[in-house]
Amino acid sequence: MNDSKGSNMYPKGTAAANGLVNCLVCYQLNIKQNSHCQGCGARIEVRIPNSVQITLSLLITSMLLYIPANIFPIMTTVVLGEETQSTIIGGVILFLDSESYLIASVIFIASIIIPLAKMTALAWLCYSVMFRHGIQQQELTILYRVTEFIGKWSMIDVFVVAILVALIQLGDLMSIKVGLAATAFALVVILTMISAQRFDTRLLWDKLG
Amino acid sequence: MQDANTHACVQCDLLIKMPQNIEHRFKAVCPRCAHVITVGHLRARQVIAALSLTAIMVLVIACAFPFISFFANGQVRTIGLLQAIGELYLQGDYFVSLLVGMFILVCPLLYLLFLLTVIAGTVLSFSPATKARLVKVIIYVLPWSMAEVFLAGVLVALIKVIALADVTLEVSFWAYVVFAPLFTYIVTLADAHRLWMWVKLESTSK
Repeated sequence: MNDSKGSNMYPKGTAAANGLVNCLVCYQLNIKQNSHCQGCGARIEVRIPNSVQITLSLLITSMLLYIPANIFPIMTTVVLGEETQSTIIGGVILFLDSESYLIASVIFIASIIIPLAKMTALAWLCYSVMFRHGIQQQELTILYRVTEFIGKWSMIDVFVVAILVALIQLGDLMSIKVGLAATAFALVVILTMISAQRFDTRLLWDKLG
Repeated sequence: MQDANTHACVQCDLLIKMPQNIEHRFKAVCPRCAHVITVGHLRARQVIAALSLTAIMVLVIACAFPFISFFANGQVRTIGLLQAIGELYLQGDYFVSLLVGMFILVCPLLYLLFLLTVIAGTVLSFSPATKARLVKVIIYVLPWSMAEVFLAGVLVALIKVIALADVTLEVSFWAYVVFAPLFTYIVTLADAHRLWMWVKLESTSK
């Protein structure tokens, strides 16, 4: 916890250096001695406690879940009793084969590039806070904003599967079932979103010294 | 140092003196980390109230009418949004159906309803504590409202389905096409800073 740090540990001009704590829920400034915000009653801390550890632990969990998300089928198509299973990458390849390059790239970007980029970005942010000196605060903060913004777009693939499953139910003729990977992948997206939310960007700026 | 106009940047903790009035469409930006704190708007409350009410009505239409019709081998299948979520549930995909229901209907609807209640609260002089509770829900629910992502998902799914059969887009689909960008626009107008200003509005003005 950072409460024990003296005010002089923080860069000049910040709330923390002036003995103030910003409430992250309602943006009310509180004096350091308060444990709860005077404006909204939420718990307040100078910096999110154990921010990097929580971000990292959620990040590692989502990295592990990303493995089953790619190995197992995201959906199973049953045509006249014959089952075809397709993974995320399989879906991309299928679209490439049918020359739907735009859709192939949308799925590829949303399901593969974005989650990997997000995980790399969060890992890099945590690494920068923990081990690096003389970091570029502005660039890393922008990296964080991009990570937070693209977070929910990975859900596209889960929605696509959900719509296809709900729509294509023609009995024995043709039906589609949700695969295990859809659940794993949805969890990856949710966990990386929470992981990003728990990251405290102010820790980057504290390194200004 | 600490007065009503002093604000600490959420992203870099710099203390900033906020201007009394931010002109229409002017951004208040943190001078150090360039975090956009709020954007000035002349009639934010009226515009957000009107748009939210519209969005709720459009969402009701999206729920009440069929979404897509699907013709294949002499069979016709028409499905609505709620039905689609129910279908997933019936198939035993509880988690996916729960997520879809929460992300595309429940969260956006809660967001809009609570937003309207807060705006009503600024007029009907609700206590700041009541408004604060509502705004907290709004802020917690926002990251999980994925209307625009769902719309993109629908478009991708459509291209897949069109290859298999004839598809007709029904009223609900078009309602959602209107809803998703409308919702996204409301979110950009109702930034967190503005919401908390509304919470504090009563206690300072009267």
